[in-house]
Amino acid sequence: MTWVVWRQYRLPGAIALALLAAFAAAELTTGFQMAAAWHALLQRCPGTAGAQQQGPDAACSGGGIVGVLGNDLRVLSVLVPALLGILLGAPLVAHELETGTAGFAWTQGITRGRWFLAKAGWLLLAAALAGGAVTALVTFWSGPVNAMRGAQFGGNYFDTQGIVPVGYAVFATAAGIAAGVLLRRTLPAIVVTLGAFIGFRLLFVNVIRAHLMPAVTTVTSMTSTWSPPGIAWSLGATVIGPSGQPFVSDIGFNGYPLTAACARLIPGGLASQAGPVPPSVVNAALSCMQRAGFRQAVTYQPGWRYWPFQGIETVIYLLFAAALVAVAWYVIRRRDA
Amino acid sequence: MSGDGPDRTLRPAAEAGPGPAAPAVRTEGLTKRYRRVTALDNCSVTVPQGSICALVGPNGAGKTTLLRMLAGLAAPTAGRAAVLGAVPRQDPEFLAGVGFLAQEMPLYRRMTAEDHIGIGAHLNTRWDGGSVRDRLRALGIPLDRATGTLSGGQRAQVALALVLAKRPRLLLLDEPVAALDPLARRHFLATLTEAVAAAEGDLTVVLSSHLVADIERVCDHLILLAAARVQLCGDTDDLLAGHKVLVGPGKDTAALRRAHTVVQESTVGRHATLLVRLDGPLLDPDYQAEDVGLEELVLGYMGAAAPAAYAALTAVPARETTGEPR
Repeated sequence: MTWVVWRQYRLPGAIALALLAAFAAAELTTGFQMAAAWHALLQRCPGTAGAQQQGPDAACSGGGIVGVLGNDLRVLSVLVPALLGILLGAPLVAHELETGTAGFAWTQGITRGRWFLAKAGWLLLAAALAGGAVTALVTFWSGPVNAMRGAQFGGNYFDTQGIVPVGYAVFATAAGIAAGVLLRRTLPAIVVTLGAFIGFRLLFVNVIRAHLMPAVTTVTSMTSTWSPPGIAWSLGATVIGPSGQPFVSDIGFNGYPLTAACARLIPGGLASQAGPVPPSVVNAALSCMQRAGFRQAVTYQPGWRYWPFQGIETVIYLLFAAALVAVAWYVIRRRDA
Repeated sequence: MSGDGPDRTLRPAAEAGPGPAAPAVRTEGLTKRYRRVTALDNCSVTVPQGSICALVGPNGAGKTTLLRMLAGLAAPTAGRAAVLGAVPRQDPEFLAGVGFLAQEMPLYRRMTAEDHIGIGAHLNTRWDGGSVRDRLRALGIPLDRATGTLSGGQRAQVALALVLAKRPRLLLLDEPVAALDPLARRHFLATLTEAVAAAEGDLTVVLSSHLVADIERVCDHLILLAAARVQLCGDTDDLLAGHKVLVGPGKDTAALRRAHTVVQESTVGRHATLLVRLDGPLLDPDYQAEDVGLEELVLGYMGAAAPAAYAALTAVPARETTGEPR
């Protein structure tokens, strides 16, 4: 069966390799250029080099060294798993059913189940390798950007680097395979694959990911400007009352809920919010809250959890992929050809 | 078939095993229902080993359904089938014995015949790739061109050569010649009959077709399906001998129907022409019995099973009572 898969996919495989080579050329050349520029900047501005430095350190700002092409390719690489799902996964069985070649393959001396497992297995491996190659290139390219911005937990950063893209690639391909087996036609399978993949990804990014591990909450004073260290993923800050209960107020100022008593410290009342407010006024109000026993509670995922999160998310996607392949395998053996 | 436990093997008590006497195909009450339609209803047929069996019937009669169930591509809703002594199933040993060619002659359009030979060699334990090359070279069909660029007749020959390379003991062909021109059809059937002759009784063919002339030339067995049911099944010569066209006066046929089975009847004026299955000697001297042709027989049964509006169109043609030789 290995030979059969090789014979059937050597042309698409060659095209994919050519595209991958072009992608690698772009990311490697722009990546090395950017890395060299970033290292020069680090030497020139030890300790102050950063993404968007202002004022006297403006010359140490690294924003300008991020190449447009490389960055666009990084962002576009989120599409690679979806492409694998619709170009590789969906037609895997559906196209053979549509053209009738399944009738040829399934009446040779090999069972449909084995035929399916061999073909799906090799192509899922290919999808994993393709996804792995793309994410390796993007991760390399992103080195200076990560160092500058420390935003690895952000969307378009977390999703294009590390090992999760491998999970996405395998999951999208498995979804395509399963959709093709269940729907038996390529075009509907492509539509369903796209919908399922994008829907699941959005659900994961916006709802599930923040809860992969219980978030950490740090309580600080009302006037503190503390933020979680490193590349931590900040999930938000709330104000808690003296007994630890969340404090909600109709009166808000600069995003902070205020008690009526503290709100009176703002000269002219809350109506004066229009226009810039001197920091001293803000501090007076916040100090009032602090004295009344209120505190800030900052919720976040610490930076050290970046790789555990990558690992957990990848495993979840791989498990879903395995479940989809198992369903497809069961259906292909049991249902009429 | 060994290695699977006895429960998966169907061996009717009357037979010791799939020896030479065992039929290549035997079905009992085989039924396939889809959500709304019954594609095949209570089908019981037997195809003796070494025969070339024609499967005829109108479109939608269940021919493809029967062939697909025999090939193990579809599972019956009820009833059972024994193919080469085994229940059709997903099992390399069963699959090795059966060759199946779907109506659309599926081949990978971008691959060459040589590629297909390679695929067959990798997916079959028994495979005679050389026979495919010999056959296609003899027919002048290129082995190194994508099958999508070949003519319909050439593709059919490639598909047949490939399915024969499995050295199957049962060959199931679904309307293999429907899309071919008369010459390509003749070449295809010649290849088929040569293969059957070369196998010396170890190759049974079931082929569905609409073309009675072809069937008459190559087939020695006939299964007629209409309206999802088996109308006829048997040796072609026996079936022809067992039916007569009776020509006589247009009188009450009640007496005739008590002794025989009237398949179809048409009356023109005072003359009646009846297609009758003889269930005994014909005693009524009013009728003149004539031999029936295969086409007449097939159309008669198909018409009898068709809705009434069509029945008249396919009725036995009226003949003169003089009974001139046809």
